[in-house]
Amino acid sequence: MIWAGTALIVLMALLGAPLFVVILAAAMLGFLAVGGTPASAVISVYEITRQPLLVALPFFTFAGYLMARANTSERLMALTQALFGWMPAGLAIVGFVAFALFTALTGASGVTIVALGGLILPMLKASGYSDRFSLGLVTTSGSLGLLVVPSVPLILFGVVAQQLGEGEPFTLEQLFIAGLGPTLLMVVLLSVYAIWIHGGVPRAKFDTRKLRRALVAARWELPLPAVVLGGIYSGYFAISEAAAVTAIYVFVAEVFLYRDVKWRELPDIVREAMVMVGSILIILGVALGFTSYLVDVDVPERMFAAMQEHISNKYMFLILLNIFLLALGAVLDVFSAIIIMVPLLLPVAVGYGIHPMHFGIIFLANLEIGYFTPPVGINLFISSYRFNRPLLDIYAACLPFMGVMLLALILITYIPWFSTWHL
Amino acid sequence: MSARRDLPERIRRGIAVLETTLLLILLAVMVGVATYQIAARNLFGGGIVWGSELVHVAMLWVTMIGAVAAAGTNRHIKIDLVARFASRPLRRLAQRITAAFASALCVALGWFSLKFISGDFIEGTPGFGPVPAWVCEIIIPVAAVAMAFNYLLRAIWPLPDPAEPDGPDTPANDLDEDES
Repeated sequence: MIWAGTALIVLMALLGAPLFVVILAAAMLGFLAVGGTPASAVISVYEITRQPLLVALPFFTFAGYLMARANTSERLMALTQALFGWMPAGLAIVGFVAFALFTALTGASGVTIVALGGLILPMLKASGYSDRFSLGLVTTSGSLGLLVVPSVPLILFGVVAQQLGEGEPFTLEQLFIAGLGPTLLMVVLLSVYAIWIHGGVPRAKFDTRKLRRALVAARWELPLPAVVLGGIYSGYFAISEAAAVTAIYVFVAEVFLYRDVKWRELPDIVREAMVMVGSILIILGVALGFTSYLVDVDVPERMFAAMQEHISNKYMFLILLNIFLLALGAVLDVFSAIIIMVPLLLPVAVGYGIHPMHFGIIFLANLEIGYFTPPVGINLFISSYRFNRPLLDIYAACLPFMGVMLLALILITYIPWFSTWHL
Repeated sequence: MSARRDLPERIRRGIAVLETTLLLILLAVMVGVATYQIAARNLFGGGIVWGSELVHVAMLWVTMIGAVAAAGTNRHIKIDLVARFASRPLRRLAQRITAAFASALCVALGWFSLKFISGDFIEGTPGFGPVPAWVCEIIIPVAAVAMAFNYLLRAIWPLPDPAEPDGPDTPANDLDEDES
C-alpha cells in the first residue's frame, strides 16, 4: 500500500504534476505510514504566517515585476556601458555587471534574458564579438545575480535555514554580505575570460557626457540600493519592512516619475507577481509539513550516518555535493530545490563541519550553474526561444562559460573565506 | 468552445477576476500597513499592535489566492521533463492525468483543513486583534476547493500547450498566455 502510493507519487511528479501537490501527497502518505493522520500535513500551510521574513518575498517580487515591465533594463545598460564600456572587452563586462544587478532585482525568472539579453545581444555582435560568445554570455548570465541581495532565492534560503536552526546561527544581513564576494569572483573570472577571448575588439572611449546623461536618466532608480540596504543596515527597519519600502519606492518611480508603467497595467503585473509568490510559498507551506515528517523519522540523521560510512572527510562530501546539486539545478527550479533539499542536506553539511552560510552560498552557486547546464537548464530553453536559435547552438555557446563558472564554484567551495570573511 | 464547456470556463474567468481584485487589495493593505508601522515606530514610538500579524495573514491569503490563479493557468512549479521531450498527444495525456491527481489532492487539502479550522471555530481560538483564527484560516479550504475546480477543468479540457516548439513556461509565453 505504502509502496504503491510512493510509486504513484513519483510517477505523478515525473509526468509533471504540480510540485506542491506531489509534496502534499508525500507528506500525507508519510504521516499515514507512521500511524499518524494526514491532517498533520495540512496544518503546516498555516505555519507560513509564523515566518516573519517571508513577507519580504511578495514585496520584492512585486518590485521586480514592475521593473521588468518598465524601461529599467535600458537605463541600466546605458549606465553600466558609460561606466565600464571603455575597458578591454568592455561591453562583455557591462553585460556581466548589468545581468547580475538585474537578476538580483527581478529574480532569475528568465526576465533577464528576455529583456536585457534582447538589448545586449545585437550590441555585442555589432561591436565585433563572435556570435557564439555573445549567445553564451546572455544565456549563462541570466542567473548571475542569484547571490546578490535582494534576490528571492537568497532570502528563501535564509528563511529555510534559520527555521531549521542547524549549526552556527547567522542573520539574513550577514547572508546578504556573504553573497557579494562569490558574485564578484564570478564576474571577475568571466571578465578575464572575455578579455582573453575578445580583448582586441574596438573599445568605446570614456565619455563624461554620456555618463552624466546615463546618471540623469537613472536618477530615480539609482537610490534603490540605498533604499534596500540603507534601512536594513542602519537599523531603522527590518528586512520585511525594507521590502515594503522598496515596493512603494519602485511603484512611485515607475508609475509616477518615469511613467513607464500605466495604471491599467497594474492589475496584470500584480497578478503575475503574486502567482509567482503563491506558487513558491504554497510549496513552502506543504513542505514544512513534509520536513517535519522527515525530521520525525530521523531522515537527516540517518542520511548523515549512512554517508559517514562511505565519505570520511569534508572535501569528499563537498565534491559529491557539487555534483549532486549541479544535476539537481538542471532539473528542479531554484525555489523548490531550496525548499525541499536544504532541510535534508544542511544538517548533513553541518555534520561535516561546514558553516551553514557557506553551505547556502555553495548551494545557490550550484543552482546558478544548473540554470544553463545542458540538456535541461531552463536558461537554455529561454534563450533558444527568445533568440530563435537551435538548442544545440546554445549548448555549444554555453560550455566555455560553464567552465569558467565551474572554476569559480570550485574556489567558492574550497575557500570558505569568500563567503564567511565578514564573520 | 463547446456550449458544455462554456459555463465552467465562464465560472473560472469570474473566479480569475475575483482573484486579481483580491490580490490588488491584499498587496495594497500589506504594503500600506507595513510602511505605516515603520513610520509610526520611528516617529511616535508605536504602531498598530497587531499590525504585523495582519500583514502575515494577508500574506497567507496572497499565497493561497496566487496558488488558485496559478492552478487556473497551469503555472504551478513542476518538473517538466515530459513536457519538454514527449510528443504532443502524450503531453496532453500527461496534463489530464496530473490535473486529475492534483484535483483529488486539493479536495483532500480542503477537507482536512476544514476539519482543522472547525476546531478553531468551535473553541473560538483568537487570531489577531479582534479577528478570530478561523477567519484567517478559512482561505485555505476555500482556495483548495477553487484549485480542485480549476484542475478538474484542466483534466477534462487540457490547456493548449504553450510548449511548442522550444520549451514551456518561457516568459514570452507567460505574458500573452494568461486570461485570453
